[in-house]
Amino acid sequence: MGAYMSEKKYTKDHEWVSIENEIATIGISNHAQDSLGDIVFIELPSVGNSVKAKDEICVVESVKAASDIYAPIDGEIIEVNNNLENDAAIINQDAENKGWIFKMKISDSNQYSELMSEDEYKQFLEQ
Amino acid sequence: MPFAGFNMPINYKTGIINEHKNVRNHSGIFDVSHMGQILIENNESYLHKLEKYIPLQLNKLIKNRSHYSFLLNKDGGVIDDLIVSNIDIKDKSYLYIVYNASRKKEDEEIFISCAPNAEKIYNKNCLFAIQGPDSINVLKNIIDIPNNMNFFDILISKYNNNEIIVSRSGYTGEDGFELSIPNESAENLITHLLKNENTMLCGLGSRDSLRLEAGLSLYGHELNENITPIEAGLSWALDKERLEDENLNGNKVLSDQLKNKLSNKKIGLISTSKSMLRDGMTLFDNNNNEIGKITSGCFSPNLNKSIAIGYIISEFNTDNPIFCEIRKKLELVKINNLPFVKKNYKKNGSIYE
Repeated sequence: MGAYMSEKKYTKDHEWVSIENEIATIGISNHAQDSLGDIVFIELPSVGNSVKAKDEICVVESVKAASDIYAPIDGEIIEVNNNLENDAAIINQDAENKGWIFKMKISDSNQYSELMSEDEYKQFLEQ
Repeated sequence: MPFAGFNMPINYKTGIINEHKNVRNHSGIFDVSHMGQILIENNESYLHKLEKYIPLQLNKLIKNRSHYSFLLNKDGGVIDDLIVSNIDIKDKSYLYIVYNASRKKEDEEIFISCAPNAEKIYNKNCLFAIQGPDSINVLKNIIDIPNNMNFFDILISKYNNNEIIVSRSGYTGEDGFELSIPNESAENLITHLLKNENTMLCGLGSRDSLRLEAGLSLYGHELNENITPIEAGLSWALDKERLEDENLNGNKVLSDQLKNKLSNKKIGLISTSKSMLRDGMTLFDNNNNEIGKITSGCFSPNLNKSIAIGYIISEFNTDNPIFCEIRKKLELVKINNLPFVKKNYKKNGSIYE
């Protein structure tokens, strides 16, 4: 039984989500980091918090503005990317890989399947 | 992004922080063609009328010099801040005034009421600022710049057989120049300047972080119609003799303010955490009493921290801690003298003849 790695999905708030063994990894999309510009600070969420989809759970500060990051689905925060604490610019360099922000244990996988695929997100950006 | 009716870039492709550092270390070019530029004939009656609004002795301005000044309302509040220069163009003497894009309507109503034949030139002339320690070297290969040109000197030079107005000025705290050039030659000039590897185009984002590090005020933030130049900490720019002149708007308010204690003072702040200080955030003392507000805030690439300018009540003792409300939490901020980063101007001359 190998680990199951899902395809990457996207929210309308420009977050990406990928799921492995019921653990979701979340970050902001490459498009989002590009529009935010130089990211200088991230306020990470607290590990152990239970959150609902659409809850504001952390904040990314760029030289231009502060932007809220929303929980894409219900679940519990189980890990945060502590590397971002010292160097939030990792998100600018590699938003959809090394720039992951937090991991959550998800409670409802249906919510995940309702998110946009990469192609759907591309179309969404073009609108 | 939309800015004062113009579509303006916040940054070009390398980003705000990189543009900012390039200006501090080398040079950068800002397209500020959105700003107002007007020529007013240097005639006694026009100058007298303008002196109702501008706190300078306009008939005594030295030729080929610029001055930072204001248009004042009846209460001494700032209608706009501007740069006024005395220059000759084709053997005729003018005041050349550069003012904020967001205040064109208010300013031009005043200029035209004082001098009906005042000539707005921003539709036929672009305005560029080249800023940073390398600006002189980038520019002098292309345009004649006399060696003895000082900060706030201004002169007429030539490019492509067009007359251009060159002033040694800017709003970044660095040495630099502003160039007013006829539209038809503007693109050529920019292309020509950009051939130098040490310069690049810069947007509104770095313009803001550079001026904030230099502690310079921005209209609509530190300055508005309800704040006088004295309250904004800019009394150095007022001609004190003019404050005795009944002809100057708000002269009584201003001379009273000079003698008495003000109700508010302008301060510089540095964040003690990584949070960003931003325009509109509220400041508190350690008893949760509101003591003021931030008027401008940004990330400072030079200090690697967030910095801000704001106003607090004068009676607040700045030895006590100040807190800023950031996303519903109170965070400690530190007072810092303005400017945050030392200015690098080429020495100043005197104001009057």
